[in-house]
Amino acid sequence: MRLVVGGYAQGKLHAVTRRLADDQYEIFDGILPDEEVTTRLEDDTIVIIYNLHRWVRERIKQNASPEEEIAEFVEKENNCIIISNETGNGIVPKDAFEREYRERTGKILVSLAEEADEVWRIICGIPQKIK
Amino acid sequence: MITLIIGGSGSGKSAYAEEYICKKAGDCRKYYLATMQVYDDEGRKKVEKHRQQRQGKGFHTIEMPRNVEKTVKVIKSDTNVNKNMVLLECISNLTANEMFTDQGTSDCETVSDKIIEGIVSLNDSVDELVIVTNNVFEDGDDYEEGTMEYLRALGRINERLASMADRVVEIVAGIPVEVK
Repeated sequence: MRLVVGGYAQGKLHAVTRRLADDQYEIFDGILPDEEVTTRLEDDTIVIIYNLHRWVRERIKQNASPEEEIAEFVEKENNCIIISNETGNGIVPKDAFEREYRERTGKILVSLAEEADEVWRIICGIPQKIK
Repeated sequence: MITLIIGGSGSGKSAYAEEYICKKAGDCRKYYLATMQVYDDEGRKKVEKHRQQRQGKGFHTIEMPRNVEKTVKVIKSDTNVNKNMVLLECISNLTANEMFTDQGTSDCETVSDKIIEGIVSLNDSVDELVIVTNNVFEDGDDYEEGTMEYLRALGRINERLASMADRVVEIVAGIPVEVK
C-alpha cells in the first residue's frame, strides 16, 4: 500500500497517475469500494482511493468507525494507493465536529503511514518521498 | 540544545516528541511542561489522553499555562539532578494563553517577545529543550482580527524558535521530515 498526502489542489492525483502510465488502475473518489467491486477488477489493477478524507468525514457523520474500516480494507486490498488531503494544518475550528474530523483524519493518516510501504507528500505538484 | 517539532492536528507530533526525548534521555531527568488550560470536557479528555500516552515514560509534569520562565525555579530546586531535559508542549496553547487573558487581548509583539524571553531563560537552565508547536497556517487567512493577531504572533514565535533551534523537524502523518 502506498499513501499520498498533501494540501488541497496540490496536484496529488496527477502526480500519482503520471507515474502509473503503464499500469492499469481504477480511481474511487471519496468511497471505499466493497469486495464485490474489487474482485470484478482485472488482476494487477491498482486501486486508487482518492479523497480519503471525504470518505472519513462521511463515515464520522454516519457514526461509523472509519479507523477500523480502512484498516480492514488495506489488509485485503494491498495493491492500492491512498490519496488524502492534509487537513490538520489550519486554525483549530470552533465547531466540535470539524475539530473531531481533523483529529481523526490525522490519526488515520498516521496509522496508514505506519503500515504503508511508501509515503509520498505532494507540494506544488512535486512529490517528495518521506517513507 | 533546542529541537523544534512542528505539525498539524492529529499529525502525531506529540507521540514523536515523547519518543524522541525518551530515546535521548538516558539517565536525564525528564520534565513535561504542560501548557494546556482546561475549560471543558473536551479539554479534560485531551489532557487525559496525553497523560495516558506519557504514562510509564518517567516524565515529571509541570503545569505551566503561562510564564514558562517560572519553570526555571522549579527545575533549579531539584538539586539532585545531573542533567535535565524539558519537553514544552505546546507553543500554540502557550501563545493563546498569554494573548487572551481576563484583562483583554495582548498584541502580537508583546506576546511574542514575552514568550521568546521566557524560553531563552528556560533554555539557559536545561541541557536539552524539545519544543512542540503547531502548524495552523495553511487553511485560509480570513479570520476575525483576534485570530489574525494570534496567527501573526504564533508565526513570529515559530520563526524565532526555528532560528534558535539546532534542529527543526516537521511531522507529516507521523513521519519526521527534516527542515533544519
